[in-house]
Amino acid sequence: MSLFRHIRSLNALQILRPGRRHLSTASLQYDQDPQPLFTDAETQSLLQSMTQLQLDKVFRKRTVPDNSTEMKFMTPDQLEKEFVQAIEKARHLLQMPPIVKVKVDTERLISKDAALKDFASTKYVFTDITYGLPQSERKVVVRESDGTLAYANLETVKRMNQLYFPLEGRKSYIPRMFTDEELLKSALDTHKYEFILDRATVQYEPYEPEFHNILSRVFEHLNESKQFDLLRSTRHFGPMAFFYAWHRCIDDLLYDMIRRDYLHNAAELIALSYKIHKIPLDYRSTLEQISALRSTPAEKALEDLRNSIQAPEERQRVGGIEQEIHLAIGKTENDFASDEICLKFIEQYIASEHALKKVQLELAIQTLKEVNLEKLQLFKGLKKAHGVNVN
Amino acid sequence: MNSALLRGFLNKTWRTSILVPLKTYVPQPPVLLNLNCSRNTSFFNKLPAEDIWRGVTAVSNAGKKRGRGKGTGKKTAKDLNRGQTIGLGKKNFVWPGLNSPIIRGNDLIQQQPLAENLEREKNIIKLRDSMGGFRMMKLNPIDRGWSGSKMPGRSIGPPDAVGDEEFESFDTRVLENKIVFIMKGNMGRKRRYSVLSVTGNGNGLAGFSVAKAPEVRTALRKSKNRAGQKLINIDLCENRTIYHDFYTGFGKTKIFCFKKPEGYGLVCHRAIQTICKVVGIKDLYAKIEGSTNLQHIVKAFFIGLMRQKSYQTIANATNLHVVEFQKATNGVAQIQAVPLTTEATNKPPNRIIDFMQYTLGNKIVLKKKKIAPFYVNTKGHTLYQIKQERFRNQANVRLHKLVNQ
Repeated sequence: MSLFRHIRSLNALQILRPGRRHLSTASLQYDQDPQPLFTDAETQSLLQSMTQLQLDKVFRKRTVPDNSTEMKFMTPDQLEKEFVQAIEKARHLLQMPPIVKVKVDTERLISKDAALKDFASTKYVFTDITYGLPQSERKVVVRESDGTLAYANLETVKRMNQLYFPLEGRKSYIPRMFTDEELLKSALDTHKYEFILDRATVQYEPYEPEFHNILSRVFEHLNESKQFDLLRSTRHFGPMAFFYAWHRCIDDLLYDMIRRDYLHNAAELIALSYKIHKIPLDYRSTLEQISALRSTPAEKALEDLRNSIQAPEERQRVGGIEQEIHLAIGKTENDFASDEICLKFIEQYIASEHALKKVQLELAIQTLKEVNLEKLQLFKGLKKAHGVNVN
Repeated sequence: MNSALLRGFLNKTWRTSILVPLKTYVPQPPVLLNLNCSRNTSFFNKLPAEDIWRGVTAVSNAGKKRGRGKGTGKKTAKDLNRGQTIGLGKKNFVWPGLNSPIIRGNDLIQQQPLAENLEREKNIIKLRDSMGGFRMMKLNPIDRGWSGSKMPGRSIGPPDAVGDEEFESFDTRVLENKIVFIMKGNMGRKRRYSVLSVTGNGNGLAGFSVAKAPEVRTALRKSKNRAGQKLINIDLCENRTIYHDFYTGFGKTKIFCFKKPEGYGLVCHRAIQTICKVVGIKDLYAKIEGSTNLQHIVKAFFIGLMRQKSYQTIANATNLHVVEFQKATNGVAQIQAVPLTTEATNKPPNRIIDFMQYTLGNKIVLKKKKIAPFYVNTKGHTLYQIKQERFRNQANVRLHKLVNQ
């Protein structure tokens, strides 16, 4: 019983506490409505390509209540179906939370019945709990004690929705990490970016100012710690790249992409920033060239999965020595060709006035060029030695 | 003292008194003879205290042979006279001639009360408590076996070194320790101790053996050392569990073992648990059907462990891919083995093969229906459930509230 009393006293304290504590606001905010640009098909495909699809990371081991395993016998046909399903599931898991503008609460009066004044000492909230309605269409109205009938404000609507149709993981109170500055800071300092972003996505609606604030805080911190790889192959990589492109601070992410030899991603990032800021440079032709040479992340992942079930002898028979060489080097001829195009495009960007960290980027490009040249020579030498015709 | 004696005497005279008529004659009713017999010898004052005590607590020789009175000897008689002296009692008093001289100098010492001694009673009880009583053998809780201070389940250390070869990181555990008899031509029924023990390094190397000897200690040593000579290598999956579910048996004992995910623990017969700990298996569920003869369980389990197949062997035998689905990785297919020859594998198999059915050798575990407790259909239980329903989420809410303050 003493625990009960303790909890009750804590609750009482919480009610008494004057006003909720708020996080300090991030310096970078979207000044216009980002939604049309974000949901644009071209932007989405660019962001998806940048996110990549590393199956190991998407399907990494997580803590679940039931961690049991099941073994099955499967024919290659059944496996093929399983692979397609896995890719579909991965794409579903990588769906990006939308970036929309902050919704402003407006008061919408329905009627004012003076006759109903003081009909009760409290407000009455009426919620339409029809089954199957989307959350945004659910009508919630409030009858004030002075007889006014009005549409409920956004907070009340969200609360009612959560009350009648609870979303798994969303709390009726705000988690402490989103109200306590110190807790959020410690989470950021330990690089738990994905955790913070996941929780914010569940807790808040995308139009809430708190959601925007937390996202900006995380992305700003990331830009300083430069741990971009932590978000690669998660659903938050796209919004992150979009955020940097919008606020003209892509250079650190670009440097990271070049260093990790994701040149096509770097080109896509530059193209995205050109697109957002309407810079009159032709990026579409370059993108087309790259996409002609490269398969999409999903296609590549599926290909890898299919290769993994080939018995060693069969691999020899199908792909021959050529495939072995590709595996050893990690690149194909098409990759080398697309790298060439990307490099040109990136160098053009570095030379322009849009790049801020020119020296750093140039150095990275130079190093990469040398490494790539060595790889290319080795690639050609290997092919020649094995008698495979080089184009 | 004198007065007490006198009272006793008077009592006795009264008991055996005969009503004598008075000198002056008064008409009287007929003479009434009231005669109370008393017997002063009895069981209690003929035998010494020791014998009486033994008669109450001990068991006869014949009874002992039949296994009666196993707990005798645990309780010993307490000497209540210890710590007491004549003249000093509950009442603290000066008794001249008993606890003090009668004359001191020229004064005659009188009886007189002294200050009460509160400690005395306590001290006597303390002294009595410290006397006697059966004391259990001191055994560290960590070293205990399956039951009390009995041997089964207890560790008896690594086997003795053979020459320079030492059994490092080995541990031996006793599984069975019992008395067995054999008939000898010249000695008749001969008693020996039989010990079954298992030894292992916790990393897939283990052995077991039975040894008999007239002494417990010798039997333990013999068994331990013999187990060290019979080591078997067992492959562990992920260094913590078995490769696949399997069925194994010995005699009338049937064991079904199931591979379990990390953190599951050992849910099985205590003997299998002990073996698993010694071998290095951490997650396993095993169900025993039929006889639970300990030696048969041990033999069956070891046979099962040795007969495990690798995924590649299974894939080659069935010409099918062996695929694992982990719930922790969102149920994505992870290929464990690819068959060597993929010819004709694409044809749908003429029968559906279930992996578990294959590894269990087409045996099916007996799943008994759980019998509901007697109170399930009672009115009281229904009421209880109705009352409890509102608290069903309380633990969760309480936890969240505590976390968020």
